[in-house]
Amino acid sequence: MLNFKLVAKILGTLAFVETGLLLLCTLMSFLYEEDDLKPFLYATLIGFAIGTLLKFLGRGAQNVMGRRDGYMIVCMSWILFCLVGMLPFLFTSHIKGVANAFFETMSGFTSTGATIMDNIDFCPHALLFWRSLTQWVGGLGIVLFTIAILPGTSSGNVKLFAAQSLGPLQGKLQPRIATTSKWILFIYFVLTICCTFSLSIAGMDWYDAVNHAFTCIGTGGFSTRQANVMFYQSPAIEYVLIIFMFLAGVNYNLLYFLLLKRQYKRLVNDVEFKWYGMIFLGVTLVCTLSLHFTSGYELERAFRSAAFQVISLYTSTGYSSDDYMLWAPCLIPFLLAVMWIGASSGSSAGGFKTIRLAMIYKVCKNELKKILHPNAILPLRINGQVVGTSVKMNLLAFAAIFTMTFFIGFLGLVFCGLDFLEAAGCCISCLSNVGTGYGDFGPMFSWSAMSDGAKWVCSALMYVGRLELLSVFLVVTPSFWRK
Amino acid sequence: MRIIIAGAGAVGTHLANLLSREKHDIVLVDQDETRLEEPSRHFDLLTINVSATSIDGLREAGASSCDLLIAVTSDESRNLTICMIAHALGAKKTVARIDNSEYLDSLYRNYFKKMGIDSLIYPERLAAQEIAGSMKMSWVRQSWEFHDGALELIGVKVRSTSSLLNKPLKELGLESRKFHVVAIKRREETLIPRGDDMLKDSDLVYFMTTRKHLPEIKHLCGKDNYEEIHSIMIVGGGRVAVQTARMLSDRFNVKIIEISEERAKKLTTLVDENVMVIHGDGRNLDLLIDEDIKKTQAFIALTGSAETNILACLAAKRLGVRKTAAIVENLDYAAMAESLDIGTIINKKAIAAGHIYQMMLDVDVSNLKCLTVSAADVVEFVAAEKSKATRKLIKDLDLPKGATIGGLVRNGEGILVSGDTQIQSGDSVVVFCVEMDIRKLEHYFN
Repeated sequence: MLNFKLVAKILGTLAFVETGLLLLCTLMSFLYEEDDLKPFLYATLIGFAIGTLLKFLGRGAQNVMGRRDGYMIVCMSWILFCLVGMLPFLFTSHIKGVANAFFETMSGFTSTGATIMDNIDFCPHALLFWRSLTQWVGGLGIVLFTIAILPGTSSGNVKLFAAQSLGPLQGKLQPRIATTSKWILFIYFVLTICCTFSLSIAGMDWYDAVNHAFTCIGTGGFSTRQANVMFYQSPAIEYVLIIFMFLAGVNYNLLYFLLLKRQYKRLVNDVEFKWYGMIFLGVTLVCTLSLHFTSGYELERAFRSAAFQVISLYTSTGYSSDDYMLWAPCLIPFLLAVMWIGASSGSSAGGFKTIRLAMIYKVCKNELKKILHPNAILPLRINGQVVGTSVKMNLLAFAAIFTMTFFIGFLGLVFCGLDFLEAAGCCISCLSNVGTGYGDFGPMFSWSAMSDGAKWVCSALMYVGRLELLSVFLVVTPSFWRK
Repeated sequence: MRIIIAGAGAVGTHLANLLSREKHDIVLVDQDETRLEEPSRHFDLLTINVSATSIDGLREAGASSCDLLIAVTSDESRNLTICMIAHALGAKKTVARIDNSEYLDSLYRNYFKKMGIDSLIYPERLAAQEIAGSMKMSWVRQSWEFHDGALELIGVKVRSTSSLLNKPLKELGLESRKFHVVAIKRREETLIPRGDDMLKDSDLVYFMTTRKHLPEIKHLCGKDNYEEIHSIMIVGGGRVAVQTARMLSDRFNVKIIEISEERAKKLTTLVDENVMVIHGDGRNLDLLIDEDIKKTQAFIALTGSAETNILACLAAKRLGVRKTAAIVENLDYAAMAESLDIGTIINKKAIAAGHIYQMMLDVDVSNLKCLTVSAADVVEFVAAEKSKATRKLIKDLDLPKGATIGGLVRNGEGILVSGDTQIQSGDSVVVFCVEMDIRKLEHYFN
């Protein structure tokens, strides 16, 4: 049975964390002296009130966290963050309607990057900063972020860590989860700082550089400009973003071993990294050739556009430096495929994850081999280690649920009036937390033209996609609630 | 010499037998009484029925005054513990049998020295090395490398197709100095050939040579129609099989057939990805045919049963595999298997015993090989400055009968020798000797 008091108490803590973040933006709006000071102040106060209420409800909670509690907290945390996080948008009335505000905030915290805003260039600085900040926090994962920044939270960390999916084979870096999360946060921080400096050297002003660093490392894709990265028309900025998007799509555990432990051999042996690199280079090559020979781009520009767009979609960032809707139609399936796959597990990217694709490939290869050698014992190996049957079953279940969710979401969007291809593109985009869709919701447009129903469907898809499906579906199964 | 052997398993018993014949005082320790019955009845040694990890037990066995303690129980950590206790009690030298190739790394030698463990032996790995060596060339029974391949020793069974037969060796030697025949095994007998001896049909001939002359020997032995090995099938997935597969998997396609499903699953975690593990009975010919034995060039039988191994190899031969190898732990069967033309016959006990035997010699022997199919030892000496060997030409050295110099390695380069070769100080000299005490050779080189 759920330990409601404990859930409330921890959600209360999370609400305070968000209040802290809102306070930061309040300060910013005070410094910029724009019209959004009051909205932020109200939002902060409401966040504080909700936190206090939850803490009050959770007073005297028994500090024993069960499995269910962990999953419940992780699932609720995203909803809570979105409900509080959309208040500044509503209060400033830069976004109108709850469906729009919730969509935008969910798109932020799930690091999707789909936007319904058509007036970004006229928004106050603090509001846009809040928008980028949601992606930075959401990219790492709200719970991981909280474990990392709060000192000595309870023994329930283990359950929370397990509930927040980081991929099929994620291990700890350090004996203690709090230490592990701190290292991950450290890497995240270092990447963000490097990205900020590189962007400012490449010619962005500091405000834009920080915002873009947040949304790039969080693989979100929000920009402070309506035209997204296209606005800058700067090859230097595009190359910087290509590099950092690529890094953000690498498993943080791998980055930890590379950067801090200097175990370079792991890079060569890591199956997921190899696949990640190969898929990126392969699709980029195809796009470059097509752009150069059929669309008449010169070679450097063809390569830059291709690499930028491929890594942006592959890592589920969703920046756009070029309108891929104008590319040769034969490239669209490639782009949808990399969107579907998603970068590495244990990174801030969304999607099916490259490691799962590699595992499925090996499972299928083994099954084919099994026909020729019926007696052979063919285990699934990842990085030279044999993976157990339970992981294999989990993988197949995940693949099935991922596909099913896609079709359900696709149907939902078609019912809400999207055209067939647009529905498919937007559904993959939301489920993989990418942020640029297809057709009227492609890189040149915002998603504001959607009906409210479609926006809710998209919000739900982003939510389940970010939590890698199983966590959310677990919470809605009857057996989860059975006593 | 007073020697304690802890663990009366296959290796321990064999060693006890071997060493007791050499007039050493052997104490065999095992906690299982039934395992001690047989050795105490047949061999001249003392058996003590205690646990070898017990301090009192080791004291009772005389560990405090023994010259050598050999821990060869089946459990690696027990062996290490036994050695550490025995060392603390005052044993002069200790040897532990291990099951982890990591420990053999020379980086860690000092760790083990500090713990009181002087040497480590890994019989499964030694056996696997022997098998892997014989798999390099399909037409060669056994092969060893000296000094990273500067010199090669190969054993080849010559048939009537060979052009070397029935001619005195001195005539062949004059033809070219591409190889040196160091020993001949004819039926049960191993002989060191002199210039007048001739090779006969079905002799197993040991050639000392360098790598570049191997194709020529292949031709001279009439083995041109042997195809190169690409695929290897191993039956039986024991520890030797794991080691063998690890050594071979980067060059060949390896399949292991294991009868127990549980073990087969375990195997997949122990070997590389490119080794295919098959769950099934290696005696089942249909399975072997299904698994393409006809396209396999080598077949290795490594089950625990000598009978199964011999029969499986015979079956594989009938299915057209030219190269077969088997582990035959039962020494009485080894001779029989030899006469059945199984090919390479490996005896783990003998290999391990040979290795330990080497340790007991206090001579500067860097590389002693015990050849299981013949009663020969291959020993490598480094000629010391002004030693007897450096003062005369080889033909004037007057080496004892039963010993011959196969070749030498000078500055990393393999050189084949003849009577007129002069050994220089610093040369590594490979000596092949049959039925003689290696210590007798020692004074030539020191």
